[in-house]
Amino acid sequence: MKHYSEEDLIAYQMGESSEARSIGEHLEQCAECATLAESVAQTLRVFSAEPVPMRTPVDMDLSWQRLRGNLAVLEAAPKKKRWLSLWMWPAAGAFAAAVIMVAVGLRMHHVPNTGGAQETATQRASVTDALKSLVGRHQQAHPINGHGPLTDVPSDDPQISAHLDSAERLLTTVNHEEGPLDEATRAQAHDLLLKNAVYTQTARDRGDLAEAVVLDNLGRVLIGLDHAPETPKSTWQLRLEMNTDGLLLDLRVLRQNDEHGSSR
Amino acid sequence: MEKAEKEAIRRVIAGDRDAYRVLMDRHYAAVFRISFRITGNEADAEEAAQESFLRAYNKLPEFRQDAAFGTWVTRIAMNTAMNLVERRNRDLSVYAPRVSDEVGEGTVQVASHRAGPERALLDMETATLRHAAMASLTPMERTAFTLRHMEEVGMAEIAEALGVPVNSAKQAVFRAVAKLRRALEPVAGGMR
Repeated sequence: MKHYSEEDLIAYQMGESSEARSIGEHLEQCAECATLAESVAQTLRVFSAEPVPMRTPVDMDLSWQRLRGNLAVLEAAPKKKRWLSLWMWPAAGAFAAAVIMVAVGLRMHHVPNTGGAQETATQRASVTDALKSLVGRHQQAHPINGHGPLTDVPSDDPQISAHLDSAERLLTTVNHEEGPLDEATRAQAHDLLLKNAVYTQTARDRGDLAEAVVLDNLGRVLIGLDHAPETPKSTWQLRLEMNTDGLLLDLRVLRQNDEHGSSR
Repeated sequence: MEKAEKEAIRRVIAGDRDAYRVLMDRHYAAVFRISFRITGNEADAEEAAQESFLRAYNKLPEFRQDAAFGTWVTRIAMNTAMNLVERRNRDLSVYAPRVSDEVGEGTVQVASHRAGPERALLDMETATLRHAAMASLTPMERTAFTLRHMEEVGMAEIAEALGVPVNSAKQAVFRAVAKLRRALEPVAGGMR
């Protein structure tokens, strides 16, 4: 007797099998396959039971406040315009012809000067390179719309990546918690603060100003956490500060830069 | 897409951040639910939901309004939550305590109210095994399985959200079920 594989029986129990009828008939006759099919069904039943926590209106308000702090004001994407309307083409053609004629006329009266020409060409090339560099920087794909650190260059230092990850988790925890900070969180903030000073200096020395700025902001918040008085109000202010500054978002962008960099 | 959502999107793109609350109120619960299924804990589900809505917000000017915002943001959530699980798996020191915390808090609803001590112990063991079994799945398997089995999302939609062929999504689901079944074998006899 031909038996069905475990995968066939899983597909059957999940309603994904194209041979449902023949498998059903087989299961009535084959105790071995029926046992396996029942085991699959039992597994599926066990993993169906977990309830999802309900979101109360208070939870929703908190989620909204947290999200809103990270929202930058959007600008509508510019509409694509036709470069030139049809009626403008003849005028543009006439204008181009006039420019060419003037250029040719000037060329005919121009006395060649080899050294000067070379210098001018060099100057033009350097200006062009500078412009290309500026335009290139401006056109670099940026992960966040009008927000976040102005870089998508990954950090080469795995320790900084780990530091960013730890800092992000700490800030996320602080953002989720209510009331004064516990000892463990303070200790972690203190530890990160010490490392942060070193990494900020490293980023500056390396010339990575975008990362240095984010680490600098992080240091400011970590100092606040390390020295936060044990009152609920003070940590609430810190959370608010983190949201408004978008520091968490900046950290995520830097970390994602690193992730993308390492996956390339 | 509903008129109210279209209007909210128009206002957000025009610079009114608060109009985004309309979209969040309508779809946050669904996004949180999907994120919870994939991440398996409330804190990560909240983080994934936040990140999904933030990503959707930043891409809103490019959003084609012939599609439903809810479907779009849910797809973003599937991917975001899966990435978060990958990140957590890389850092076992963070992930492991969460699993035990959850079990300790009794979030798994297996135990019966009238269960005796032996049954309760068995249920606790089952819950621990369940979490361990889920943690042993790859992020792709976990995501595909939870979406298909717990949320009843179609294979085609799962495949599209995860950026893989339909057959790969199916294989991920089947592999997940096979792994889970084996992981539960130690208590399977006791549960019958």
